[in-house]
Amino acid sequence: MSDMGMQGGPVAPSTAVGDFAGQNGAYYSAAFKRIQDTTGFAWSWNTMAALFGPIWGAARGVWGFFWMFLVLELFALVQLGRGLWGELGSQQLAKLDRALANIAKREAQAAELQAAGDAAGAEAKLKIAENLKKVAARAQEQADLAAAEATSILLIGLALLLLVKLLEGFYANIAYEAHYLKWRAKPQSQQAGIRTSSIVFGVVMVLAIVPLTLLRFTVTNPDQVLARLTGGLFGDTIPVTHFPVEKEYFSALSKRGDAGFDWAADNFSDAFDGITAGIRWFLDGLEILLLQTPWPVVMLVIVVAASRLAGLRVAIFTAASLAYLAFMGLWELSMITVALIGTGAILCILIGVPFGIWFGKSRRAYAIAEPVLDFMQTMPAFVYLIPIIAFFGTGKPPGVLATLIFAMPPVVRLTALGMRGVPETTKEAAIAFGCSPWQLLFNVELPLALPSIMTGINQTILMSLSMVVIASLIGADGLGALILESLQYAAKGQGLLGGLAILLCAMVIDRIAQGIYRKRVGGA
Amino acid sequence: MGTDEVIRLERVWKVFGEQAEDAIAAIQARGLSKAEVLGEFGCVVGIANCSFSVKKGEIFCVMGLSGSGKSTMVRHINRLIEPSAGSITVLGQDVLALSPDQLRKMRATNLGMVFQHMALLPHRTVRDNVAFPLQVRGEPKSRRWEVSQRCLEMVDLQGYEDRFPRELSGGMQQRVGLARALASDPDVLLMDEPFSALDPLIRRQLQDQFMALSAELGKTTVFITHDLDEAIRIGTRIAIMKDGRIVQIGTPEEIVTRPADDYVRDFVDGISKLKLVFAHSIMVPISQYRAKHWENLDASIRVSHATDLDHLIDVSTATEQPIVITADDGTDVGVIDKPTLLKGIQGGKA
Repeated sequence: MSDMGMQGGPVAPSTAVGDFAGQNGAYYSAAFKRIQDTTGFAWSWNTMAALFGPIWGAARGVWGFFWMFLVLELFALVQLGRGLWGELGSQQLAKLDRALANIAKREAQAAELQAAGDAAGAEAKLKIAENLKKVAARAQEQADLAAAEATSILLIGLALLLLVKLLEGFYANIAYEAHYLKWRAKPQSQQAGIRTSSIVFGVVMVLAIVPLTLLRFTVTNPDQVLARLTGGLFGDTIPVTHFPVEKEYFSALSKRGDAGFDWAADNFSDAFDGITAGIRWFLDGLEILLLQTPWPVVMLVIVVAASRLAGLRVAIFTAASLAYLAFMGLWELSMITVALIGTGAILCILIGVPFGIWFGKSRRAYAIAEPVLDFMQTMPAFVYLIPIIAFFGTGKPPGVLATLIFAMPPVVRLTALGMRGVPETTKEAAIAFGCSPWQLLFNVELPLALPSIMTGINQTILMSLSMVVIASLIGADGLGALILESLQYAAKGQGLLGGLAILLCAMVIDRIAQGIYRKRVGGA
Repeated sequence: MGTDEVIRLERVWKVFGEQAEDAIAAIQARGLSKAEVLGEFGCVVGIANCSFSVKKGEIFCVMGLSGSGKSTMVRHINRLIEPSAGSITVLGQDVLALSPDQLRKMRATNLGMVFQHMALLPHRTVRDNVAFPLQVRGEPKSRRWEVSQRCLEMVDLQGYEDRFPRELSGGMQQRVGLARALASDPDVLLMDEPFSALDPLIRRQLQDQFMALSAELGKTTVFITHDLDEAIRIGTRIAIMKDGRIVQIGTPEEIVTRPADDYVRDFVDGISKLKLVFAHSIMVPISQYRAKHWENLDASIRVSHATDLDHLIDVSTATEQPIVITADDGTDVGVIDKPTLLKGIQGGKA
């Protein structure tokens, strides 16, 4: 039965180990039985696996085994190679050469200065040369040591190879048994027995990986050695250490990109100006509200609103935070910052929530939008700051735009998530009572999605705050500019106080928003 | 009770899948089974060639196991699901010909629905949940409150108006669901396994409450259930479904005494027949009895032909004589003696 292989028949294919393993079926039947009879680790030796290592794994289709032991054997072989023909200490020798050249240069300079009568300068140069000599001596010493290490490295390599072979021999049957179980569950997608195509693939992989890697780690100039080994067939050097392409493609493409941006900036300037004007209008409104209104009024309104919306504890915290901002003289900067991120957050919500609703309803639209959202969230801000400057110039409106790009995805995503989380049965009930699509949206879907939407808004507010410093890079003032300045002059104290101010602004806004939400949910 | 039809379904098919039409044609031509249709066309048969009509004031029960298509069928009546073929008439109107606006209007005014999982709106109070159909219709708040108050009283939930659904037990939530369905004063109630998710004791209470309400309001009702006991308790007529087809339609008595096939018989076997089988279906006709027996029946107890077995047992324990069965006009039509009664209880005669 063990040599029958898989003869196709109308009945379900056999799941016997012998039929699975093909060649040496009887051996594997016994080995698997031993493994399955043992609790804990089963000692089971496979000579073929130990001899052929990764190739055995390839032949049997156990690719995890193949890759793991390919890497381990390669490591052992590299040690062997270094011990046998490696130019040990070559790096130290190169360092020695550089040091000697440097010493000669300094000494020559010293001699020149001496000749010019600058005794102090010459003294300094000589001192440097003296220090370099010490470095050179140490490099010489290490190079000698490294050369002496060759034998021990060779021995270590041998020991490693032996250890890897032992591991292979003892691990092979365990890995193969696990593979057998996978094959039983999915016979179509897992290899059974030995397959020639797998062996060929394994050998090609080994040939492609092992020689080059070995060469790279055992000789100092692999490019030249490889050229010599191939008999100069492909030129004097074969670039295996560096990819043989410089910036030519990159610069050509990036020039294209420049031209494209310039063209867009020229041709759509009206649209960009319109967007800028819109944002500026919004921003100015908020700034007038927060800055032109007398500070006692603004503070009072904020504290009262906090206590009304979120309770006494939040109100006390808010009052303390506002006091900090005021006494540190950061009141105006803080209000500018709040206006900036307030504009950003409000625009995010105004644009993001409708999009979220759409994406929640249309699976296809969401599938298209998802990569865009990922892009907006993961792309480093500095990348889109460049085109933003190109199109919108510098100042606060572009800062708001950068905030929009970064902070909008959470509210879009969470709105869509909330919309999709509304139970189908509830929607069906509403439709059964004659709801129109709009009634369904406002009476059922939005209220039920509200917790998720609120979480999204919260995230968006916090993310806009984290953009404040980056927005200041393109000329948006406020607390961000303060921090940027302290970064430039290494003003640690200023940075700390400014950072604390941003933190307090964020916490006040966040606590009030959460308080509103908690009150709604708790009371509703 | 009038005899005019309120709901009429004719040869309605619902096949889910892209090749629905081909599948229907193939089923009609070759009589494929549900599994064969799935294999050949990749289509799932929801309901197949179902026809029935519901009269005004009737409680029409649709009974079947899960997957038999009963919930799919009820959703055709208010067109929550579009049929693949067939015609559906509700209150004299062709439902399939309605425009979206007309359909919404019909749902909001003529059709009330109760769901297995209540499907109440968690963010609204009980009152606002009940008033929801009226709000959809655009009624002013005072009227909404007035109506929801009345409906909550009907289901004995006065005092809970300002609570939220999550503060109520499952049975109370389902009563809110019932009140919501009644709020728009619909002509037709569609009830999709309304009591299935409740525990047996509460289920029985709600059945009683529903039957009392139903007797009072006389609403035409389509009642979906997987429980034959429930169907028999509350149904005027019962349709039994299997694999999307209606196997039998009849009164509870007809279903119990004359099951159409083995499938129905299996269900009926476990049902107590005492209150479902009546004197006229087990009695020996008076002429036939007289031909064999000579005793005088004048002194015998006389009961109506509509007396159920349960009552007949009570009567027969009090007398040694055979019981004489009378027609509505008081004439003697049949006789039940002890052997006949015992056979009837056993179901042999039926």
